[in-house]
Amino acid sequence: MINVLHLTHAYRQAPWRIQRQWAGAFLVGALVLAMISALYLDVTAQAAILGREIQYLQADTIEVQHANADLQTRLATLLSKSNMEARARALGYRPSEQGEIHYVIVAGYFQPNGVNLAVTNPPVVVNVTPPEYTQSLLDWIAAYLSTPAAGLAADILP
Amino acid sequence: MIRIQVSPEAADFRDQSDNFAMVKRTFYPERGEIYDRNGHLLAGNETVYTVGVNIPDMVNIDVLAREISLHLGLDYQETYDKLLNPYDLVFVPIANFVEADKVAPLKETVARVAKEAAAEYRPSPLAGLEFHPTLQRSYPENALAANVVGFYNRNQRGNFGVEEKYNDLLAGTPVEAWVPQDPNRAAEIPHVPNGTSLILTIDRDLQASVESMLDQALTDYGAQNGTIIVMNPRNGEIMAMATTPRLNLNEFWTYGDQFDQSYEFNPAISMQYEPGSVFKILTMAAGLDTGTVTANTPFYDSGSIVVGDVTIQNWDRRPWGPQDMIGCLQHSLNVCHAWISSTMGKELFYDYMNRFGIGRPTGVDLAGEAPGHLKVPGDFDWYPVDLGTNAFGQGVAVSPIQMMMAVSAVANGGYMVTPHVLYGMVSEGRQININMDPAGMPIRAETAYTLSQMLAISLENEASLALVPGYRVAGKTGTAEIPVNGYYDSSQTNASFIGWGPVDDPQFMIYVWLNRPSVSIWANDTAAPVFSEVAQQTVILLNIPPDSIRQQAVQP
Repeated sequence: MINVLHLTHAYRQAPWRIQRQWAGAFLVGALVLAMISALYLDVTAQAAILGREIQYLQADTIEVQHANADLQTRLATLLSKSNMEARARALGYRPSEQGEIHYVIVAGYFQPNGVNLAVTNPPVVVNVTPPEYTQSLLDWIAAYLSTPAAGLAADILP
Repeated sequence: MIRIQVSPEAADFRDQSDNFAMVKRTFYPERGEIYDRNGHLLAGNETVYTVGVNIPDMVNIDVLAREISLHLGLDYQETYDKLLNPYDLVFVPIANFVEADKVAPLKETVARVAKEAAAEYRPSPLAGLEFHPTLQRSYPENALAANVVGFYNRNQRGNFGVEEKYNDLLAGTPVEAWVPQDPNRAAEIPHVPNGTSLILTIDRDLQASVESMLDQALTDYGAQNGTIIVMNPRNGEIMAMATTPRLNLNEFWTYGDQFDQSYEFNPAISMQYEPGSVFKILTMAAGLDTGTVTANTPFYDSGSIVVGDVTIQNWDRRPWGPQDMIGCLQHSLNVCHAWISSTMGKELFYDYMNRFGIGRPTGVDLAGEAPGHLKVPGDFDWYPVDLGTNAFGQGVAVSPIQMMMAVSAVANGGYMVTPHVLYGMVSEGRQININMDPAGMPIRAETAYTLSQMLAISLENEASLALVPGYRVAGKTGTAEIPVNGYYDSSQTNASFIGWGPVDDPQFMIYVWLNRPSVSIWANDTAAPVFSEVAQQTVILLNIPPDSIRQQAVQP
């Protein structure tokens, strides 16, 4: 029995075994570090891609605004007084003259005065970038942990 | 990498990195648009390009210079030299403000050549060619209402008209922001609201029609230039303001070819002149309002009157015998009006001229308004005879818009309006309409009513060419001799007519001014028929029914 204990003790304290334990621990540590690094790299890469997409979208927005302005101006040119008059004349129309116009009295009718260019639902400008676009991984973890009703805590709170 | 991180220069490197990490950019809002009262676009924006070459990316100077010069119509050698000697520039602009239509074929060529080069795994010979878009002002109606709209030049400044008057509103507020270059630090571009869009009181169709009639009038009567204004006398909204010559706003750089002086751009507000007999409306208004005369006050016209030791005569230098005040207006008698102002006295007369705003700018919202000039007792250049001559519009300088404003009190029940062209503003999708308060009440409502009737009767009595079939109008001609070298030249006149209608419910007021008509010097023969023609078009375009129908509609 004593021999068995001695043998077990010797086995446990064999130098090669301690080295293997150290090596194992180091490998586990390296693996954890590699996983964290990979995770960080992945998140960072995704953030970079999204950031670049934002830059492209911002450029696209400006391009669309320019295109809108172009189209609006082109439409106005097509509908300009001289163009419309030329098209009307080509279709055989001419300006009406006094004596050719018949006025009809409509009770309660008021002639509208002036145009209304207001938008029915004006766009609401939200000038806040979602945190996903600006937070680092550490920022996110810190925010996750510091919010009582978020993350894990959210699951256990009633 | 670790060595660099811990080296003594690390801090410098970090500073340098920070310097390049963020770029300060100014975001300029899109300039607000300008519309007429019915929503027709008068001034908008369009994309133009700066075509240039990014020198570090340049592969083949020869091909670049050839393609650019070919497509943009530039000199090959000049383009080649610019690229060969960039003078330390990273980006060399070759052409500015190039229109999209011109750029499109060049863009297509660049894309095609790049595709071919990519297929053969070689750099494109057109690499480095870049197109930087920017917005430029565009005027779809070209010269229509040019004097009202003004123009926006390439130095980013509004010139004349509303472009200058409302430049700050139209331009909006540029926003400066630090923009990260590092995509990891992507930040949102700040919201930059567009410049405020303006809605004018101008009616595009009426404006075009009035401009056409003015051009025709200049041809018919051999006048050098002219002005026609159509205003709503109830609220001061200017619905049309035609002048000559007119600038094609899309070619604003030809301004210098057409105009010698800035006041020629919009004479309706900038050019002051002696108005002549249209001014008699104000003299008569003052006389009636002070009780100096009534419509039936008799006056014996002997053909002359002495004021301040100077003899004043009628326009035809003959006596007109017994008259009442309607006759004085109908025959436009200088002697009668000089008598009214003299009887009234200088204090009262000039007090009324001051109430009518003579000698002061009206405050019309267009850039470059002239103040006019009225000499008053006490001024070094005022003489007693001025009391007589001012009464019939000599020795006083006004602009057409000043006359409109002053006479609006007669048409509008005693209330004088402020002429204006801004109907409303649109910003961030919200529209605010402008309501102008009256600019004062220089005369009583009864005076305004009486004088309107007197002027209408005087036109009807003489069967004036200004009459408008179906509509009762009131108004007055003015034929003012033009001073040349200190003397009045009877062969050169300013012919004008100011009138409004319908008399019982004024909805339009029209001022016609023809400068030096050669077919006839008299406003009766020139400006009066132009007024009638403009009024006939105005009632059609503004849907104003004839008096008989309108009065039926009003009565239950």
